[in-house]
Amino acid sequence: MGQAPEAAAREAVVALGRALRELGLTVGVDQEILLCAALAEVDVRSRQQLYWAARACFLSDPRQLPAFDSVFDRFWSGSSLEAPNSLVEHGETDPRVAGPQRGGESLPQFRLEGQSGSLLGGQPTRANREIPAAPGQERGEGRRPGVLAAYSPAEALSDKRSLEYAEAELAALRSLARALRAAAPQRISRRLRPARRAGQLDLRRTLRRALETDGDLLRPAYSGPSRRPRRLLFLCDVSGSMERYSRVLLASLQAAVAAGIKAEAFVFATRLTRLTGTLSTRDVARALAEARAEINDWSGGTRIGVALQEFNTRYARLGLARGAIVMVASDGWDRGDPDLLAEQLRRVRLQCRRLIWLNPRPAELDGQPLAVGMRAALPCIDDFVPGHDPRQITRLVSLIGGLGAARPARAQRAAGARMSV
Amino acid sequence: MPGFDSIETLREQLGQQRYLVDEGLATVVFLALRLGKPLLVEGEPGVGKTELAKSLAGAAGVPLLRLQCYEGIDVQHALYDWDYPRQLLHLRAAEGGPLYAEQFLIRRPLLESLATPGSVLLIDELDRADDEFEAFLLEFLSDFQVTIPEVGVMAAQTPPTVIITSNRTRELHEALKRRCLYHWIDHPDLAREIAIAEARLPEVPEGLVRQVCSFVQELRWLELYRVPGVGETLDWAESLHALGRQEVDQETTERTLGALLKSREDIERVRGNGVVEALDKASQRAAQLGDSGGTGA
Repeated sequence: MGQAPEAAAREAVVALGRALRELGLTVGVDQEILLCAALAEVDVRSRQQLYWAARACFLSDPRQLPAFDSVFDRFWSGSSLEAPNSLVEHGETDPRVAGPQRGGESLPQFRLEGQSGSLLGGQPTRANREIPAAPGQERGEGRRPGVLAAYSPAEALSDKRSLEYAEAELAALRSLARALRAAAPQRISRRLRPARRAGQLDLRRTLRRALETDGDLLRPAYSGPSRRPRRLLFLCDVSGSMERYSRVLLASLQAAVAAGIKAEAFVFATRLTRLTGTLSTRDVARALAEARAEINDWSGGTRIGVALQEFNTRYARLGLARGAIVMVASDGWDRGDPDLLAEQLRRVRLQCRRLIWLNPRPAELDGQPLAVGMRAALPCIDDFVPGHDPRQITRLVSLIGGLGAARPARAQRAAGARMSV
Repeated sequence: MPGFDSIETLREQLGQQRYLVDEGLATVVFLALRLGKPLLVEGEPGVGKTELAKSLAGAAGVPLLRLQCYEGIDVQHALYDWDYPRQLLHLRAAEGGPLYAEQFLIRRPLLESLATPGSVLLIDELDRADDEFEAFLLEFLSDFQVTIPEVGVMAAQTPPTVIITSNRTRELHEALKRRCLYHWIDHPDLAREIAIAEARLPEVPEGLVRQVCSFVQELRWLELYRVPGVGETLDWAESLHALGRQEVDQETTERTLGALLKSREDIERVRGNGVVEALDKASQRAAQLGDSGGTGA
């Protein structure tokens, strides 16, 4: 070697940083400098200490762990730091959870089990995470053969009325995002700001004013609550039966998320994908392409209940739905267990401020029976908005806009959403 | 802060505070102390994030200053405020002397930590505060100084050791993360959880602790709405002990599930078959552990 130890350590740190950046981690020069300083404090011959030091300096998110672990393994064993292709996915599965419903590798893993090197160990990548039939699925199919047949893709494609609608909807939903921005609902924040009207006394400013009058409180200053944007949370169905709307929905999600209002975007068919991060870039084409690539189950089957369950266990727990206005966009054609759907929907409703269901093709208008999922959902939601007509979109926006700071009347139990057609 | 001269010493000292750390956490805390960097700790609720700061302060024998974050927290709650009634009296009495003097300054945790040499500052659940507050923290965390308009810049002679915790209800800003060392705390494995419970609850019999921990470990594999953390394990072990139980049985478990699981759905899910199965697996694991412990000794 012949190098000074510090120089060797510096080179190693830089190499490690570069390898991590190639996997999409944000490792800056300041972090590399930090690690160099850290290495002076630990025993660099100990793999453990080196690992923990590098991890503390370079990581800032548990989701980065699998990628980091695999790079560090190769780094320590002295093999090439060039990433094999499979690593780019940052994928990881949770071994504690049997079953397919938790598969989305784009999702944050909030319950990591510290399984170092799971990727190196040949853990499943996209291909073998394909979905076996869910437990509820066969049962459901056995019970309702007629319903399943009724929403096969072939049937949907022959539905002229919906096809005509698609064009109008594109424009309508785009303007929806614009309108949403205008109507962006607000909530009252705990943060105070100066107010003109008499309210809570702002002692700091009052005292300042009193200085001018030799300590006489002639002009009290007040503060009042400020307002912040209320979170809008979209859960959009992109399964096969929604195929013709999915593209439009995705575009509107993008518009809403990028509009600078506080919007969260999720899509689902058989499982849930969070798209907020991907869609938040202003480059519309790129955002949509990336989002499209991230959705593994695009135009797949529908298991709304399972998707909502995943939302509840993984995201609602973190408070994402608290106080939010949640909008589910789906036709309600569901292959999963309707009881699960209802239960999970109730659970969402308990946490959010308002639960709205937008149905772009309300079946009853066509004289068809109400979709199984829709029938299960109706008793559990606050508002049902049919989306077959652009005028309804205007109604939706005004509905959302009206859900701001003032608390709208809401039934103690959702005894059934008003069907306003 | 009195120095810990090695990672091992730090581990031992924290152990004396009944806070058991693995090598990872010990290394990272050691680095945070040595490099004078804030430490950002994330993890599921109940893995002992807050406890870390308390134990560290205890081990070093320095005061702990705690700032609990919440939505809308601002400078007056976090940094300083003026004692307005006293200022007003002072003004009315026309005693002379400056109105914005140190004697009227109320120090909140951040300012207090600058004034207390070597203290441990815990900024708890930062994810609950809003973006503005996070941005405000940036100056504090990088320079350990704050600017009070009426007084001037106040800087720490010895910067405090800062531990920041977050439950990841939202993503913290990159700028803030870049100023910190980062550590993710996982749920402990069985052996560690037993060690923690034994250290924390010396009065509870060893056999019961083992069964309790094995059972909780099994619960963590179920898909629960809210996975029980170490905090719940300790609560439950204490509850069973208070009921005078020597071992975990189905009936008592079902009656005391509320100490472990905090949602109706989770309790309903686990009650009955779930408890039986988990108890079954847990007793197997506890037996294995007993065997390997016996042969290993």
